[in-house]
Amino acid sequence: MSDADSGPVRGGGTDDQTDDRPRPDGGLTVEDRQIRERSWKRSPSAVLGRPLVLTVFALTFLFLVFPVVATFVASFAREWTGVLPSGFVTLTHWEQVLGFGGYEDAADYSLKLGAVLRTLTENPLAAPSQSPLFRSMWLALGGVLVNLVVGVPIAYAVARYEFPGRDLLNAFAVLPLAPGIVLGVAFLRAYPELSGTDFGLIVGYSLLKAPFMVMAVQSSFESMPLRQLEESARSLGASWPRTFLSVIVPNAKRGIVSGAIICWALAAAEFNFSYVVFSRGARPLALFLKANISNSSFLTTAAAVSVFFLLVAAVTAALQLLGNRGFST
Amino acid sequence: MSTDEAAGGTGGTDGRRADALAAVSAAFHAGAARLPDPLGRVLQPHTERDRERRRVIALCAPFCLLATVAGVYPLSEMLRISVSEAKYVSEGFSLSAYERLLADPHLRASAVNTLWFSLATTIVSLGVATATAHALEKYDLPFRGALLTLLSFPISLPGIVAAFMIIVLLGNTGLVTNLVAWFTGRSSVDLAVATSVGGLFVAYCYSMIPRAFLLLRGSYAEVNERTEEAARSLGASPARTFYHVTLPQIKPGVIGAFILTFRTALAIFGTVLILQTLRVWTYEIDYALSSGSGFDIQLAAAMATVWFAFVLGFTALGLRYTSAEVGL
Repeated sequence: MSDADSGPVRGGGTDDQTDDRPRPDGGLTVEDRQIRERSWKRSPSAVLGRPLVLTVFALTFLFLVFPVVATFVASFAREWTGVLPSGFVTLTHWEQVLGFGGYEDAADYSLKLGAVLRTLTENPLAAPSQSPLFRSMWLALGGVLVNLVVGVPIAYAVARYEFPGRDLLNAFAVLPLAPGIVLGVAFLRAYPELSGTDFGLIVGYSLLKAPFMVMAVQSSFESMPLRQLEESARSLGASWPRTFLSVIVPNAKRGIVSGAIICWALAAAEFNFSYVVFSRGARPLALFLKANISNSSFLTTAAAVSVFFLLVAAVTAALQLLGNRGFST
Repeated sequence: MSTDEAAGGTGGTDGRRADALAAVSAAFHAGAARLPDPLGRVLQPHTERDRERRRVIALCAPFCLLATVAGVYPLSEMLRISVSEAKYVSEGFSLSAYERLLADPHLRASAVNTLWFSLATTIVSLGVATATAHALEKYDLPFRGALLTLLSFPISLPGIVAAFMIIVLLGNTGLVTNLVAWFTGRSSVDLAVATSVGGLFVAYCYSMIPRAFLLLRGSYAEVNERTEEAARSLGASPARTFYHVTLPQIKPGVIGAFILTFRTALAIFGTVLILQTLRVWTYEIDYALSSGSGFDIQLAAAMATVWFAFVLGFTALGLRYTSAEVGL
């Protein structure tokens, strides 16, 4: 690029008459034409660079967003045999996926909301656990609670104190230790009875998603004058545990809440670990999606995936209200 | 019950409780005093520095507990069964599972597949993500916040959904497939590439581009714009400015993003499970656990151990010997 840039300038003006006389002030002589060329000749990257980068940006944007929109729209269509889905608007696929209406009996892969509603009056506590949606919500919530107890203190320790092994500990807290599938194999071996239960899933989710909590809380802590806060609270007579709980934690509320939301959504979406470990009870949400993708018709699957999109959209909106821009890893 | 009585009653229990507490605390102090000095100082600090150490330990304890229960212990059990002589009980020491790993040509092919495929998708994703981050950070695009939100939306989608997105685009009834079929007049079934290696490549990129993009955006935010302006005003072309001025500044971020994205690529499993085109390492781990190969947890554990050791070593070396910055 740079050669092409300077090429015309060097080569230009050979056939023009040149003024070779030394200048009286001892400076270099510059050809008129050279100045003119320099002023209008732009380098290829100045001409093409921006359109090219913008094209990549637009294509990437379409590639990432368009299938999401298409899936959501198609979930309301009756059929999709031609180029575009047709036969709008029908709620059949949504009823099937949510488990309402006449599909309840056949709906093996649905969210079983209809069944939950029917049994809600008889058994209000146990009814929601039949649905993959509520089971996932509960499991993810358990993971978040563990992460709150685990993630907030370690983020504070790393942000506030200097101690030997701090960087190593931080690396372990911020980088995922093992991915879902490796951890799943490890859990199957270490806790053969417990791994498929709520306990196993919650503990696994909390370790897998802890880095996101730690990072979110740390970014909050880094913008706070931690030492001053702690010292002024201490000098006013608060004990250290009290300082931590009633001064430090409330100040980092925003990071903690957004970390909790991110952890919750990612735990509800965790597939690899759940797939290896899951044994009984209602399927977690990600396995419900897998069952639909593998077994249901295309448009029913579109509705199932759209349920998940709505969940993510709700979480994103909640994060925006907190002043975060969507997810961050 | 009168208030006096109640007060007296609680006073009595309080007194008894205080006695009990005093006894416990005396026993505790006596015990702590007998412990070796560093440990005793943690439980019974003398100086402010000891107290700070106790706080750090208290703050790190929950995480260390979780990491032990959910990470270290299961992983060590996994390692033990992979070197066990018996199939379902950890006993003795034998490397037979690892020998089977090395001897199996399918698994060797799978390892090679995983590495080149992950490397290629990582490089492509990083390239695309750099251009995307550049456009968003350097050009004054309208609706920047909305664009950013939409671009980061796919991060929370699991791999199976990414695979479904590729089916929506490139499957038998996919949008792009149908569009090309409509223009060229060829059958859409011939054109569908979702369940080919190319489709899997695109599906990997679908999961990895948004992650790489967000990591790079953090580095872009720290670029000193004055140096770029100076380079441009001194006559450097935009390409030259990017190569000599911007790129050196975002280099640590790019290397960090490379490490994290490569790790992500190696861990992808759901996408392969849906598209079923290339037998990557994670897929083989699951296959070893399936009933088709008789729940071979020894082999699965050996494969998971190899995966874990490779990624741990790769990350440690990457962070140690490059200028990589990890985090946001």
